[in-house]
Amino acid sequence: MTDLLLDFGDPADLERLRDDFRAWLADHPLPARGADEPVPVFLHRWHRMLHAGGWVGLDVPREYGGRGLTPLHQVAVSDELGARGAPGVPRIGYLAHALLEFGSEEQRRRLLPRMLAGDDVWCQGFSEPGAGSDLASMSTRADRGADGHYTVNGQKLWTSYAQYSGLCLLLARTGPSASAHTSLSAFVLPLDRPGVTVRPLRAANGDDEFCELFLDDVRLTEADLIGAEGAGWKLAMTTVSYERNALDTGHLSTYGLLVERLRRRAHERRGSLPDGLLSDIGRCVVDYGVLVAHSRRRTAERLAGRSAGPESSVDKLLMTRTEQRLYETALKVFPEELHGAGGEIFGDYLYSRAASVYGGTSQIQRNIIAKRLLRLPADGRG
Amino acid sequence: MQTEEFTLVRDMLRSFATRHRVGSADELTPRTRAAARQALDELGLAGLRRSTPPAATVQECALLAEEHGRQPLTTSLLGTALLAPELSRLLGITAPASLPTIALARDLRFPGQHPSPLVAWDCDAADSALHVAPDGTVRQVALGPPTRTADLLRSVRAVPHDGEGEIVGRLGAEAGQRWQSYALVVVTAELVGAVDAFVELSTDYARDRRQYGKRIGSFQAVQHLLADARVLVEACASATRYAAWCLDHEPAGRALAAARVAKAEVNASAVEAVYTGMQVFGGIAQTWEHVAHLYLRRVLVGADLLATTADLLTTLAEPAPAESPPADTGAPTPTADEPETTR
Repeated sequence: MTDLLLDFGDPADLERLRDDFRAWLADHPLPARGADEPVPVFLHRWHRMLHAGGWVGLDVPREYGGRGLTPLHQVAVSDELGARGAPGVPRIGYLAHALLEFGSEEQRRRLLPRMLAGDDVWCQGFSEPGAGSDLASMSTRADRGADGHYTVNGQKLWTSYAQYSGLCLLLARTGPSASAHTSLSAFVLPLDRPGVTVRPLRAANGDDEFCELFLDDVRLTEADLIGAEGAGWKLAMTTVSYERNALDTGHLSTYGLLVERLRRRAHERRGSLPDGLLSDIGRCVVDYGVLVAHSRRRTAERLAGRSAGPESSVDKLLMTRTEQRLYETALKVFPEELHGAGGEIFGDYLYSRAASVYGGTSQIQRNIIAKRLLRLPADGRG
Repeated sequence: MQTEEFTLVRDMLRSFATRHRVGSADELTPRTRAAARQALDELGLAGLRRSTPPAATVQECALLAEEHGRQPLTTSLLGTALLAPELSRLLGITAPASLPTIALARDLRFPGQHPSPLVAWDCDAADSALHVAPDGTVRQVALGPPTRTADLLRSVRAVPHDGEGEIVGRLGAEAGQRWQSYALVVVTAELVGAVDAFVELSTDYARDRRQYGKRIGSFQAVQHLLADARVLVEACASATRYAAWCLDHEPAGRALAAARVAKAEVNASAVEAVYTGMQVFGGIAQTWEHVAHLYLRRVLVGADLLATTADLLTTLAEPAPAESPPADTGAPTPTADEPETTR
């Protein structure tokens, strides 16, 4: 555990950025969603508005269409949006980081500005029916032909909003599966290529966010390869570590809003609350407060020059604990969500059950902590 | 303090702790206690929070309390060097003639509204105790005979019923909040040090101990236990360090909220993580000679110290007071304080 003195405060210019953004929000209220407008179409409209205001890709260098600031600045924008109950910035941060770290100069210049502007909508093709947490065992293949082209065959699962996307960050096997971690490569796959079939999948909460992606003899060129052949595993690991922090994902302020709703409701119904519920709410306040403190500590450590590593598994487990207990309590505080038609909280509750599964299950996170943080011996090596 | 200066103080405390740690409950003798007491006294740490502005930040004091908690120690760094001097400082007493610790209710919570028997807590080397009444009145009370507590390392003495003690000052509303927050943070930090060190000890043990021809740390069941314990320790540490930083930089109301969050997290998680560590140690941790029960006793009594989980969760379930616009880093804005509530 670190025993350094840390500065949990915000850099001075961050307050100015927040002020600027609040002023912009005052002039640009959240547009209303059309009656028949699908959520992703609406979100895309919001994405373009945010980008026009200069609020997307703050931590991406200027030459690639960003503003050349720090991740903290982007986090501040997410935080302000969350605090108003507005949809967050489009979740492209991790895709942008994959391109920044692994893409060629030509790819960065060609793809990043369009990604940030929303000209291209991206999805992520990592998981498969047979390869969820055990990502390295994926079976989608990209075979290189004599002409230098790749032929891709396989199936992807959980690709969010693929039916509304133009491009996919695809992971496929380019070498023998015996070398699981060095035989994966990453590609940009245009979803309008022949052989690509997208089929939406209805989730437990009724949303059709997730899709299946079928790939039959899809041809990719060498220019579609991101990074070197075989660099796919490293790229994937970098990418998922950006999905494991409550600040990076903008979830933190959403939790904060719900915690406050629970407290107000408890205050109104004082005296008629079921036994123990006040303590449950107090526990949610503690979980949330701990997550705020923990996220700030990670930020302070990052600013002090430490890069994200296996600690992100601790972050993910704390985020999961917070989210799942919070929505379990919310269902008790708002029983009409359960015993009625089921509103927004019930939908979010169902989604919270996935928190311990997506981005690597809680069990995988524990394996990572045990091996890489605690340096416990690997199984079988006695 | 400058970083180098702080590192020096921390290292001094660390080598003191390594030298005077109690290796087993059998080593708890008047002689070892006296030797440790004298060695701590020679470090001269009581001056850290005596002057205004204090020589050490709250974050620095919290890290020192954490360091002290890492080893089983009988010394009263908290009571006599970190807590009572801060109370004197808040009262404007710059050169106290005595060496007080703090007085708590008999159940070790913050003294309540109703007059109840008091105890002098963490009183090794202390000659008196400072009692803060809920209205902020601070009295200096005398020490009675030693009283027992499950925490074998901690010195606690009764406070005689006769005589209320001499009034030495009164804390205003904001100073009262700052006092509560500071006490919560320092006490919590010592527990964080204890649970962190004990989980580390059990993790080291899992790397070496062999059963079924394998090191037990290679079994996934054991790995997941220790991973969960590590997550709890990190949660405790993040919450406590942030609360300490808040006391250095944020308005009193926010600092108190952060301190309550930290204490509530540690009340629940430190005990759970120590249980896990003991489970990993197996039979050896069930013996009198092993340090496990010294750590368990410390976090178990610690969870009741100053504010219990029940106290904290009901208070924290109250809606947040209206916030003033976030201030620039640093400058405390007393107007943002939340109304004072007991516990």
